[in-house]
Amino acid sequence: MVAPWLLLALPLSVTAAAARDKLLGVHPTSVSKYTPTKSNTWKCLDGSKELPWSAVNDDYCDCEDGSDEPGTSACSNSQFWCQNAGHIGSYIPSSRVGDGLCEADCCDGSDEQPGVCPNRCKEIGEAYRANRDAELKIQKTGSKIRSTYIAFAHKEQKRLQEEVKSLAKEIVTKEKEVERLRDIAERTESLSQAALEHKKQSPLYQSLLNHNKALKSLKREYQKHADRERQLGDILGSLRTGYNPNYQDMAVLEAVRGWEELAGLPHINDIKKGGDAEEGGEVTTGEGEKAGEPEDDGLWTKDELDGELEDILGTDYTQLLLDHEEHINAPTGDSVLFKITSYLPDSLLPTYEVWKDNLLEWLERLGIIPEETSGATSESSRAQQNLATATSELNRIKGEKSEAESTIVKIFHPEHFGIEGEWKKMDDECLEYEFGEYTYELCMFREAKQKPKNGGSTFSLGRFKSWNTDARPGSPEYYSKQYYKHGARCWNGPERSVVVLWTCGTQNAVTSVAELEKCEYQYTATSPALCLPPGAGDNGNGKNREEL
Amino acid sequence: MWARSVLGLVSLALVVQDSLAFKAHDFKTCSQSGFCRRGRALAKRSLETQSWQSPYSIDPSTISIVDGQAVFKAGVKSSLYPDINFGLEVRVQEDGAVRVRMDEVGGLHKRYDEAASWSLIADPKISQSIQWKAGKKDIRAVYGSKKDIGVVITYEPLQITLSRGGKDQVVLNGRGLLHMEHFRKKEEAPAVEATPTPEGGEEQVVVKADNPGAWFEGAEEDALWEETWGQWTDSKPKGPESLSIDISFPNHGVVYGIPQHATRLALPTTTGENAFFSDPYRLYNADVFEHLASSPVSLYGSIPLMHAHSEESTVAVFDLVASETWIDVSHSSDKSTETHWISESGILDLFILPGPDPDAVFAQYAKLTGTAPLPAAFGLGYHQCRWNYVSSEDVRTVQKRFDEENIPVDVLWLDIEYAVDHEYFMWNEKTFPDPVEMVNDVAATGRKMVVIVDPHLKRDSNYPAFTAAQDLKVLVKPKSGEGEYEGWCWPGSSSWVDFFNPAAWDWWKSVFKPYQLEGGSWSWTKSTEDVHIWNDMNEPSVFNGPEITMPKDNIHYGGWEHRDIHNINGMLYSNLTYQAVAARSDPPKRPFVLTRAFYAGSQRFGAMWTGDNMGTWEHMAVGIKMVLANSIGGFSFAGSDVGGFFGNPEPEMLVRWYQVGAMAPFFRAHAHIDTKRREPYLLASPYKDIVYGILRLRYSMLPVWYTAFRETTVTGRPILRPQYVVFPKDKNGFDIDDQYFIGSSGLLVKPVTEKDVTETTVYFSDDQVYYDYFTFATYNGKGSHVKVPAALHQLPLFIRGGSIVSTRERPRRASSLMKYDPFTLRVALSKDGEAKGDLYLDDGETYNHQKGEYVWREFVAAKKTRNSLRISSHDLGSLKPTEAVGDSSLTTYNPKNSYAKTLDEKDVRVEKILVLGLKGNPKSVKVEGTGEDLAFEFMPAMTRAASTLVIKDPRAKITDDWTVLIQY
Repeated sequence: MVAPWLLLALPLSVTAAAARDKLLGVHPTSVSKYTPTKSNTWKCLDGSKELPWSAVNDDYCDCEDGSDEPGTSACSNSQFWCQNAGHIGSYIPSSRVGDGLCEADCCDGSDEQPGVCPNRCKEIGEAYRANRDAELKIQKTGSKIRSTYIAFAHKEQKRLQEEVKSLAKEIVTKEKEVERLRDIAERTESLSQAALEHKKQSPLYQSLLNHNKALKSLKREYQKHADRERQLGDILGSLRTGYNPNYQDMAVLEAVRGWEELAGLPHINDIKKGGDAEEGGEVTTGEGEKAGEPEDDGLWTKDELDGELEDILGTDYTQLLLDHEEHINAPTGDSVLFKITSYLPDSLLPTYEVWKDNLLEWLERLGIIPEETSGATSESSRAQQNLATATSELNRIKGEKSEAESTIVKIFHPEHFGIEGEWKKMDDECLEYEFGEYTYELCMFREAKQKPKNGGSTFSLGRFKSWNTDARPGSPEYYSKQYYKHGARCWNGPERSVVVLWTCGTQNAVTSVAELEKCEYQYTATSPALCLPPGAGDNGNGKNREEL
Repeated sequence: MWARSVLGLVSLALVVQDSLAFKAHDFKTCSQSGFCRRGRALAKRSLETQSWQSPYSIDPSTISIVDGQAVFKAGVKSSLYPDINFGLEVRVQEDGAVRVRMDEVGGLHKRYDEAASWSLIADPKISQSIQWKAGKKDIRAVYGSKKDIGVVITYEPLQITLSRGGKDQVVLNGRGLLHMEHFRKKEEAPAVEATPTPEGGEEQVVVKADNPGAWFEGAEEDALWEETWGQWTDSKPKGPESLSIDISFPNHGVVYGIPQHATRLALPTTTGENAFFSDPYRLYNADVFEHLASSPVSLYGSIPLMHAHSEESTVAVFDLVASETWIDVSHSSDKSTETHWISESGILDLFILPGPDPDAVFAQYAKLTGTAPLPAAFGLGYHQCRWNYVSSEDVRTVQKRFDEENIPVDVLWLDIEYAVDHEYFMWNEKTFPDPVEMVNDVAATGRKMVVIVDPHLKRDSNYPAFTAAQDLKVLVKPKSGEGEYEGWCWPGSSSWVDFFNPAAWDWWKSVFKPYQLEGGSWSWTKSTEDVHIWNDMNEPSVFNGPEITMPKDNIHYGGWEHRDIHNINGMLYSNLTYQAVAARSDPPKRPFVLTRAFYAGSQRFGAMWTGDNMGTWEHMAVGIKMVLANSIGGFSFAGSDVGGFFGNPEPEMLVRWYQVGAMAPFFRAHAHIDTKRREPYLLASPYKDIVYGILRLRYSMLPVWYTAFRETTVTGRPILRPQYVVFPKDKNGFDIDDQYFIGSSGLLVKPVTEKDVTETTVYFSDDQVYYDYFTFATYNGKGSHVKVPAALHQLPLFIRGGSIVSTRERPRRASSLMKYDPFTLRVALSKDGEAKGDLYLDDGETYNHQKGEYVWREFVAAKKTRNSLRISSHDLGSLKPTEAVGDSSLTTYNPKNSYAKTLDEKDVRVEKILVLGLKGNPKSVKVEGTGEDLAFEFMPAMTRAASTLVIKDPRAKITDDWTVLIQY
């Protein structure tokens, strides 16, 4: 609107609003801007319009920037300054002026007509200060604990650096050892290879290999089916606990019931009833997989199968071939020499054993009895084994070293344990919070979990993903939020996840858990790691308002 | 392995996705419902038979006319069953509406005849002046101010015709489809059954030898008795009792109404050539999960009222039946409509509303089922809902976020998860440890809470609501008529209170008392008067029942089967809840009750919403049409869930949905538990600011909405008015259902319900100027479709020239904080340079308005001379005291009533007058009488933008008469 106001005298009937203090709602530093010109006019603060002085605070919005109505609700975009003597001055939006409500932010009641709101600044101010003092105290105590966390981080760093050093040394030694063993293994192998190849032509050996292959294939297929069954079980299990009756889907209900019958589970709604839980619980154990019981015909049970099949498949067939050969070549029916012990009195046994070993050694040397393990092939495999053991040891140490090195990097990395390493202390510490039927666990920098108190499966709510990505790494704001993501998937829903909202506190504790959206949890938690020393610059509280 | 299992999960997800859509197999089609199948087969036979004639006729010897009343009675016979007697009664009411009742006389059983007692506000007054004149073949009554209305009852075959000006308007049984199946004994099947009944088959066909009525009823009996569908068997102990009747509108080419269906407003055809839908419209209140956006399938509520419309006239029929009803619609020509109504049980109780125009039909219908009461004012504010705000802390945080962002909201809602084990009233103490304090915290900023109370009660002997109902023996009974019906709903095994049983009423009213009752029976002490109620699932929804509802052979009070009362069931629940909430305060305060199920008359008991819609553009669009259909059905206080209940709407869609919601009488955002949170403060820019703007617009327009409500409480005219209601003679508007007027305010809105739109087309019917509400751009109407800007931040909202719109432009946190704020008047001058509009105010809370405590003003802008315009305010309350508010018998008005005095003392005034379309530069603006000069600002007209005159603060009190004179 470009056309200027036609400046005309206002109606003479001056109402209460018009008589208001022209400076009502004006911040002390802006008071100078609210003075009339000599011709008793006034310009909007954005300079857009010139008004009669009487238009200021007359409960009618003239200026586009709302500056002519600092003390009324007429301009929706203006703010009202509450002096709040005895407490802290504060702006409130103009929309709260004259709405009949007494604002905590405007404890002097200046935003309402006189008599509407009593001046409560004294009590509010006192409560505020008491609260602030308490907070400050927590912050002080917390920051002391925090400095011990920082010291811990430094110590850890040092310890890890030492560890890295010693591991490095160990690696050098091990590497040499590996080289030596590799040398031996290579030499013994070339010697024995030809003899071994011949023996491997044995039909028995070939047949064994086939059996092995068959067993392996069976095992793989079995595993596949078992996995599939478990997955199906998981899917149906989640369906059972997580299905949403809102779908009002009797097909789903039927599926759940069917699954419960098959798996011998009590009906999910009965469990929730509590009283009937025991009854249902019995069914579970009664109908479950009958693990330990032996099967017919001396066949293996499932447990035995699980354990021993692995051993059988792990058999070193080359070694077996050599053992077999040895067995064939051994005298039929153990010689007296080997069985004599059974005739000897116990007191003589140790002496006899020594004597026997010596005798055997001599007999072997003289070629009278065959050597215990038939030569080169087994030696070669033992050398290989030694080499493998040494190599894996070397790799383990290397792994340890690199983990230690990466931890060293993380300790003072802003995206991990904080620029001061203040969170290192909490690494892998697990906090628990009980709520409803569950215990909520938070293992720091690892995983969040939901464990039912009365039995049932534990769900992962997510693994540590990051700090607050919306804030600058290293800022206190950054450490006020943690994300744990990619937990167990909800039935017909997202993967479970957690946002942890951290505040300063003297203890490491989860203080609340809420599922604000389905399968998306919000923890609130306190930690001294977030308690900056009072007065430390940007402390994230933003409560450094001017007190009057 | 991994890849394979991933694939497995993906395909599982796809299957799940698929199964989430509307499940057609959960609900019957006509062909799966025995009586509907019989009804449609009858209609088919009538078309295939050359000389079809209704077997029903009046026996002239039985005719009687009640002395001094326009009541005609006669016996009716069907040539098919000469031994069966029917009784017909036709009454002409004082307002000219015709009521046709027919029942079997002396039958084996009694047909359900109590629907009227629940739906109607009173027995309609029968004319004492209109006379029946009997002829040889018929009897007729002629009436109307011009004596142009005639009702003719032809004896043989029976036919009833209402005509005006010699033109037939409504014809009953013109196609001979009237058929009232009489009660009979089940004939024992022959001892040797040739073929076993197919298990679970739909068809139960018994061949009847030599049926002389085969030409009419068909040669074979079809599902007369026990009927199985899916896993459910309906025992139908009384056998066939369905009712078929054809209703034709020979001179009306469009029909509207019969909510609730997700369809266009002008009902598409269901039979005949190129029928749009293949099934009839169904009225059978049902909890339809993820319903389709275009379908005749029944939804949550039923209002069996149909408008028939043409350029010449509007008439309506109201078929007061409570049982499942199917309605076929066809057009034998562009200018006529044939309908066929097939109901499962109950008497024929049908009203013919003669019109002659939409407003007259609204008035005639309002006389029957009543009008909406004035709502609690907060009910018109913005409602923030979600399934679920999970704790009292959550509620406080949501409120805090609104306040931090300075976004207005009036009501925070709690869905079912507040209740431990879904036992309504019983707070989950772990998550809501301090419910009363929580409500008080919300109420401290002038807001309210709405908490859900569903009709299913968990069968738990520690649940006081259940045990009380059990002790009172007021639970619905199973088909045996003994014990308690058990069904499955949110809490698991549940039972339902039978609100048809008067013994339940006082108890239900006592339950809502927020204080300890004398005598110690249980009441909801952990609530306050700031808690209002949401009634959901009252179709009733029963998860393991046939069609997700109760078995039809369940037994209600009086021995009636559920089939007889099904469509009324939900209304009784909100009725009683409404009474209970009003009665908890002394003196009573206006309740807010939201219901999902409804029937004709439900408008008296609060608001409705369109149920569980989906977050799609199609659902957004059809939601508007559904609300319009409901408005025609008398239920104006309606809206659809903003954002869509299911799904995660993209920000653009959410913004558009806020525009839709803000322009509906009931404005609530709601979301399913599986969705992401989407409260307006969570939106990013620019969406957030646009939504704030929409919310502020809604709040500024609250006086418009409230004033529109006042009108509907008196006249029954809907708040949202589609094109044909406002311009009944403009046939180009008959199919328009995506734009509408708000009350009599002159505001026309066309919400955008499509993606990526920057402009849209609005239809301006009349030769009048329309002003863009925001930019004051002008459009000239007269039957033109005009392109208007409609980018995401632009809501196409127009003021029709000739209107004065009153708003309150100061944003507040809640509507209750605005009650003493000043007004802004938008004076949108007509082509002739004049305008008027009204404004109604009361305390928005109590029933004192019925005692005359209100302010009702009219603002008029009229030319005084060629170069001067007078804008004045005068008192409509004094002028029309009998027309001010509904439900009151006031004949006088005291302008100095205590409410008006409060406004006067608080200096409630007009702070700004905006005059649009003034032709000429104003020279002076003065207060007439005192001659005071007022400051003003004028911007002359530009191409396609109106001139705007802003009159600064006339300091004109809202309760005073005043005049402002503009000289130009």
